[in-house]
Amino acid sequence: MHSLTFLLLLPVIGATIISILPSQSTLIRKTAIITAALTLIYATSFILGFDTSSSAMQFSKIVPWNIRLGTSFALGIDGISFPMVLLATLLSFIAIIASCSITDHSKGYYLLMLLLEGAMLGVFMAQDWSLFYLFWELTLIPLFFLIDRWGGKRRSMASLNFVLYTMGGSVFMLLSLLVLFDATPGHSFAMDAMLEGARALPRETQVLIFLGFLVGFGVKMPIFPIHGWLPLAHVEAPSPVSILLSGILLKMGAYGLIRTAFMLPEAVLSLQTFLMVLALFSLIYGGLLAWRQSDLKGMIAYSSISHMGVVLLGIAALNMAGITGALMQMVAHGLVAGALFLLIGLLYERTHTREITDYRSLVKITPRFAIFISLAFIAAVGMPGTAGFIAELHVIIGAFEQWGWIVLLVSIGVMISAAYAARTMGRLFTGPAYSGSDRSLSHSNMNNISDLQPVELFAASILVFGFLYLGFFPGFALDLIHASATHFSQLFVAIK
Amino acid sequence: MNEANSVLRTFVWLIPFLPMLGSLLIAIGFVSCKNRGESGESQTTLIANGTAMLSLLIVLAVDVHAIVIDIPGYLNLAQWFSSGSYQVNLSFNLDTFALVMMTLVALISVLMIRFSVNYMHREAGYQRFFMIMNLFMGAMLLIVMSGNVVLTFTGWELAGVSSYLLIAYVYDRPIATQNATRVFITNRIGDAGFIIGIFLSFHLLNTLEWTEILNKADSLSPLGSNILAATFLLAAIAKSAQVPFAPWISRALEGPTPSSAIFYGSLMVHAGVYLMIRLQPVLENSPIIMSTLAFIGLLTVIYGVFSNLVQTDVKSNLIFSTTSQVGLMFFSCGMGWFELASWHLVLHAMWRAYQFLHAPAMMHLMVHKTRPVNPILKRQGWLYTASLQRFWLDPMADWLLVKPIKRMAHDIECFDEKVINRLVGLPEQTNAITSIADWEHQKNRTQTSADEKEQVTRAQGVAGKILEGLADMLFWFEEHLVLKSGGEGLLKLLNLIGHYLLQIEVLLSQPRYLMLLIIATFVVII
Repeated sequence: MHSLTFLLLLPVIGATIISILPSQSTLIRKTAIITAALTLIYATSFILGFDTSSSAMQFSKIVPWNIRLGTSFALGIDGISFPMVLLATLLSFIAIIASCSITDHSKGYYLLMLLLEGAMLGVFMAQDWSLFYLFWELTLIPLFFLIDRWGGKRRSMASLNFVLYTMGGSVFMLLSLLVLFDATPGHSFAMDAMLEGARALPRETQVLIFLGFLVGFGVKMPIFPIHGWLPLAHVEAPSPVSILLSGILLKMGAYGLIRTAFMLPEAVLSLQTFLMVLALFSLIYGGLLAWRQSDLKGMIAYSSISHMGVVLLGIAALNMAGITGALMQMVAHGLVAGALFLLIGLLYERTHTREITDYRSLVKITPRFAIFISLAFIAAVGMPGTAGFIAELHVIIGAFEQWGWIVLLVSIGVMISAAYAARTMGRLFTGPAYSGSDRSLSHSNMNNISDLQPVELFAASILVFGFLYLGFFPGFALDLIHASATHFSQLFVAIK
Repeated sequence: MNEANSVLRTFVWLIPFLPMLGSLLIAIGFVSCKNRGESGESQTTLIANGTAMLSLLIVLAVDVHAIVIDIPGYLNLAQWFSSGSYQVNLSFNLDTFALVMMTLVALISVLMIRFSVNYMHREAGYQRFFMIMNLFMGAMLLIVMSGNVVLTFTGWELAGVSSYLLIAYVYDRPIATQNATRVFITNRIGDAGFIIGIFLSFHLLNTLEWTEILNKADSLSPLGSNILAATFLLAAIAKSAQVPFAPWISRALEGPTPSSAIFYGSLMVHAGVYLMIRLQPVLENSPIIMSTLAFIGLLTVIYGVFSNLVQTDVKSNLIFSTTSQVGLMFFSCGMGWFELASWHLVLHAMWRAYQFLHAPAMMHLMVHKTRPVNPILKRQGWLYTASLQRFWLDPMADWLLVKPIKRMAHDIECFDEKVINRLVGLPEQTNAITSIADWEHQKNRTQTSADEKEQVTRAQGVAGKILEGLADMLFWFEEHLVLKSGGEGLLKLLNLIGHYLLQIEVLLSQPRYLMLLIIATFVVII
C-alpha cells in the first residue's frame, strides 16, 4: 500500500477497532494509545526517506477519483506539510495520553479523537483542493461532538459557535475554489493544475479570490476580527482537545494560507501591507486580552491569537527569513501551547478552578508542575534557548527587511507576553501557602494537590524537550523547511 | 651578568607575590574549615611567616646581587594587558631607592608578622588578621617595586583595602566600621587623583612606565607638568595624612596595635612620601607644586605638633608625632631636599615601628606623672581649644562635603521612591516578606480587599497603566462586539430567523394560505 495512504488510514483503522470493542472495555484506551504511538512512529520514519534538498512533493500518489469533476485522490508531503504532519501525530499522541480523566463514554471519545487525527493528517497531506476541502470539513464533525459532549459548562454554545464560524469561513473558501476551478483550463481540482490556472488570472480577480481564502483560513488561524469562536471553544473544550485545537487546528489555517500564497502570489503581494496590519493588530490585541484574562485557559487561548499573529506576519513578509520564521513559529507554538494546555488541564482536573487568583505557592505543593509550567511560559515568551525564540527572531528579521522599524510593535507584543507570563507565574507559584485557618474559602484541598504522575510527566517532558531541543539545536527543523521556504521566497523575488 | 639577570627575572616577581599567595592560602584554609579556631593558629602562622620570610630572603638576595654584581634597574617581565597603544606591563623598577625601600618594607613586615603571632594569640579573627597583614605586605612591596604607574596603583589600592579591613577588624563595633568607612572614603579622594595622574601620564607622555615618565618629564609643558604633579600630590597627601586629609589617621587607630604600627606608624603613611621622591624630576619642573608641597608639609607639622601637645594617651601621641614627622618629609621634598627626605623616611619608619610596638609596654615603664599643659597653650586659650579640636578639620569636612552629599542622596532617594518607582511600577517598599508580622499584615490586607479577582489585571507604573487601559478597552470591545454580537449574537439571530421561518411554515401549511399562494401563482403566470 502507498505509504502516505497507510499513514492516513492508521488512525482510522484504530478507530474501527475501537468501534467494535465493548463499550466498558479497558482495551479502548490502550488501543487508542497504541494507534497514536504507531502513527507517530510511522510518521517519524518518513524522515529517513525525506529529501531535504528538494522543494517538490514527495511520497506523492495520485489516483483519479471522479474524472468528470476533475477530482483526484492525491497525497504528498513537502517541507511545509511534513513538519505539520509530525506535529499533528505527536500532539495527538500526547492528547490521547493526557485523556486519562475521560471515563464517561470513553469509547466514543477515543474513536472521535482518532478520526480527528486522521482528518488532520488528511488536510496536511492532500494535494488536491477537493480532497483538502473534504478533510477540512471532516475535522469539524469529531470536534463538534468532542466539545459538545465532553466540554465545560457552556459547551453547547461553544461547539455551535465554533462550527458556525468555521462553516461560515468555509463558504467563502469554497466560493474561491469554485471560481478557480472554473478558471483552470483542464477543469481540475489538483493543486498543481489549479496553481497554473490561478497564476494566469488578472490581478484584480486574484485579489478577490485570495480574500475569499483569507476569510476561510483566517477564521481558523485566527485573525482579528474573525476569532470570536476561539476563546469560547478553547476554554470550554476538554483539555486534550484544547491541545489539538491550539496545537494543530490553528496551524491548518496558516498552512492553507501558505498554500494559497503559492497559488496567488500577485494577490498576496498587493495585499501585503494589509496582511501586515492584520498580523500586528492580532499580535497586540491577543497579547493585551491574554493579559486581561484571569482565567488560565482563556489567557492561553488569547495568547494563541497573539502567536498566530507572528505567523501571519512571517508569511506576509514574503521573504526567506519571514516564511522560515512563520513555519518555525507554527511548530514552536504547537509545542508550547500544547504543553500549556496539557499542564493547565491537568491542574484543572485536580482543583476544578481555572481562576489565577485561586492558586498560590504551587512551587511548594507541586514542584514538578511549577517547573514544567514555568518552562512552558518561558518558551511562550520566546526566551532564547526555546523554539519560540528561533521563530520570532526569523520573523523579526524578515519583517525588518520588508518594513523596517515597524517591527518594534512585535517587540511590544513580546513584552506584553512577558508581562502576562511573569504575572501568572508569580501568582501561581509564589506567595504564602493557604493555611489551615482559611475556612471561608473552598481552598482546603489546595494544599493537597498531587504532583504530576509518571505518565503525565512523560507527556509533558516530550513537549518540553521538543521546544528546548528546537531552541538549542534548530538546525534539524530549519533543514527540513529550508528547500520549501526558499521556493516560496524565490517566487516573490521573481514577481517583484 | 646576563645569567644572573635571568635568574633575577625568574624570582623577582615572587617578592610581592609570595605574601599575597600566603594570604590566599590562609583564606582558602579558612573557607574550607582547615585552619579555624585555636588549633588552626599554628598552621596560619606557618603560612604567614613562611611566605613573608621567603619574600624577605629573595629581597636580600636581590640586595646582594645589587651590591656584588650590579643594580638591576628596570626589569620588564611580561605584558599584563594591552589595548591599542595603551599597554600595561608587569615591570619592576629596582633602582637604589626602590631596593632600600623594599628591604625596609619586607624587614618591618616580617618582624611585625612575627610579633603578631604572640600578640594576637587567641583573638577572634586570628586568621583574618594574618590574611590581611600578608596582603598588605604584598601590596606595599608592589608599591615600592613596581616599574609602572598602574602596578603601583594596584598596590596602592590593595594597601587601602587592607587598611580598611584592619580598621574594621572588630566589625561588630559600630565605631570601628564607621571609622573604617570614613578612612577608606577619605583615601578614595586621593585615589581619584592617582587615577587622573595615570590618565594624564598616558595622555601627555604616552607611557605608563615610571622610568619613561621621569625621563620625559622635561619635555612637558609647564601647565602639563603642573597638573600631572598636582594629581599625584593629591594622591600622596591623602595617603600620607597631610592637611587637609590629616584627621583620618587618628581614626585608623581602631585596628590592632601591630597593624597600627605597620600601617600608620611606619609603612603606609610613608607611601605618599615615597611617591613624591619617585616623582622628583616631575616636581622639579613645577615650582608651584613644590611650594604647595612645602606649604602643606609645614601646615601638617604645625597641626601635628599642636594637636600632639594636648593628647594624653600614648597611641595618639605617637600618631600625631608621626603626622608631623611625615609633614617634615613633605616639607623637605617641597624644598627640593629629596635626599634628606628619603633618609628621614627610612630612619623614621624604623624608629616609629619600634615605638608603636613598645607602646603597650610603655605604660608599665612610666614612673612620672602626666606632663602639665604646655605653657604656650596655657597662655593662648584659643590655641588650646583649636588643638583639642584638632583644628576642626573633621567637622569642616563634614559640613563641606559629607552633609551636602548625604542630603542630596536623601533627596534623590525620595525622588526615586516618590516618582521613579511609581512611574516604573515598582512597589514603594520591597515586596519581600521579612517577618511573620509582615506576612500577617499582608494576609489581612489581601483578605479585606473586596475584589481580589480584579487585582490580577491591575498594573503599576506608567507602562503598566497604559497596558491596563488598552487591555480594558479591548476587553470591552471583545466582550460586547466580538463575543456577544459576533458569536452569541449570531446564534440569537439564527434562532430568531428560525423562529420566524417556522411561523411562516406553519401558516403556509394551513389550507387557506396554500390556496391563496396557488391563486397568487396563477395570477402571476397569467
